[in-house]
Amino acid sequence: MIEFREVSKTYEGSDSPVVNDLSFEIPEGEICVLVGPSGCGKTTSMRMVNRLIEPTNGEILIDGEPNTAMSGTELRRKIGYAIQQIGLFPHRTIAENVGTVPGLLDWQKKRVTDRTDSLLELVGLDPGQYRDRYPVELSGGQQQRVGVARAMAADPPIMLMDEPFGAVDPITRDRLQDEFLNIQKDIRKTIVFVTHDIDEAIKMGDKIAILEEGGVLAQYDTPENILAHPNSDFVSSFVGADRVLKRLSLLKVGDMDLDPPNGYGDSLPSLYEQMSLKDALSEMIGAGEDRGVVYAGAATTSGEKRGSLTIDSIRKLSHRAEVENLTGNDA
Amino acid sequence: MRSLALQAQPLIDWAWISANLSDEIWPAVVGHIFLCSLSIGIALVISLPVGVLVARYRKAYAPVVFFTGFLFSIPSLAFFAILVAVPAIGIGFRAVIIALVAYSLLVLIRNVVTGIDSVPPETIDAARGMGLTPSQILFRVELPLALPVIVAGIRIAVVTVIGIATIGAYIDGGGIGELIFNGISRGFFTQVIVGAVLATALAVIADLLLLAMERYLRPWARAGRA
Repeated sequence: MIEFREVSKTYEGSDSPVVNDLSFEIPEGEICVLVGPSGCGKTTSMRMVNRLIEPTNGEILIDGEPNTAMSGTELRRKIGYAIQQIGLFPHRTIAENVGTVPGLLDWQKKRVTDRTDSLLELVGLDPGQYRDRYPVELSGGQQQRVGVARAMAADPPIMLMDEPFGAVDPITRDRLQDEFLNIQKDIRKTIVFVTHDIDEAIKMGDKIAILEEGGVLAQYDTPENILAHPNSDFVSSFVGADRVLKRLSLLKVGDMDLDPPNGYGDSLPSLYEQMSLKDALSEMIGAGEDRGVVYAGAATTSGEKRGSLTIDSIRKLSHRAEVENLTGNDA
Repeated sequence: MRSLALQAQPLIDWAWISANLSDEIWPAVVGHIFLCSLSIGIALVISLPVGVLVARYRKAYAPVVFFTGFLFSIPSLAFFAILVAVPAIGIGFRAVIIALVAYSLLVLIRNVVTGIDSVPPETIDAARGMGLTPSQILFRVELPLALPVIVAGIRIAVVTVIGIATIGAYIDGGGIGELIFNGISRGFFTQVIVGAVLATALAVIADLLLLAMERYLRPWARAGRA
């Protein structure tokens, strides 16, 4: 668990703080995304966790202990670190790059090699093929995979990731995000994830901390709650006018109360339990129907028929959230 | 009389070369290599720490470059003359070494700084973020990445020093210059030509060797081109 306690940072020679009285908790095993416009202090906040930057006021606790309890370098060896520019060592092979922190921690050579190989496999790079290559021989996406593998090398309970998928094209980014979420299901790290992209925040975050310029915490909540109940004009404009649709992309068809399947024919569009409501809505509108048939699973009609779903039920769900919003009912 | 002798002799007297190969020519080459490697060695011992410090404390960079640049700009014969006039130094080997070291400092220090500057900032940031100490960052990241640029500086310094050391023979520094000066004073072409060819060959060979080393020290760049 990471806890920010009234943390502020003002750089020398500046009057206004870049991070202003930040207090929030990141529960163990969750991804907390710090998101906001440039100048909101999100990267500064992240870099104060492993003390690459020291706060002017306040403190950061890790598992209840102030992060100043040990030396900065000792602390940093226990916290994974991945950045947008990756920063692989150009003069070291992929294996040597990944094995950096284990090497600093004096692991035995065999253990480092085994760990390196299994991490490369985990991030989808064949160790036999890539172990002895230099970073310059890899594509941008492959380098980012190595950067993430390197951050995980010593199996740190906490990881800091500053736009770790920022330097690649959107398609590769999407794939890297999916793969990383898949990995995270197993490793359950406590992750501080920085991005300026609200869509990435919604996709990656268990919790999202939206920061305003001047480093003020505007809202801290789950993506769903932030989309359903933005607590200020700043937040609702930051998440975008399409926040209702964004929220639908977080909800699954399987989460809805379905109508009985009986009687609805094959002429209706096929929906799947694993499909997002946004995609389901798109299918129904595209087919010109206001109802779809829901099948079990993710993408084939070979699954069992589970029921049917109407556009109207989606509309009601979205509208209910908006009404709660207007009446200030934070259900 | 002298001009007659000049006209009469052959351009290259092969018999003299084979007769004096082991007792005059070879020792001159060895002496020259010794002079140059010793002065480059001393210059490196000074330049590496100074370069690293100056790369950190940027304010010192301009004065250091100004001073070493001043040393570099002194004409070599004038430099030797000044050193010879200093009682503690005097004529000979020591004055030559001091001058050669002084001439190497500018290019060596400048290349150490350029080399360290060429290390990508994100690489340093990642190194810090993973918990490398400042000295680990220097020795495991900055210097290895700067090494090819430093070696490029050594190349230039070595070629410069091999040339200037030849003049050092004028104040009894020894080396290949001795062949040339002796040949001139005796009016003996062969000796002059042998000296000139050897000095040139030495400079070219040293340059090529260091170029090969520069390449060798950058296996990651080779991999990138492949």
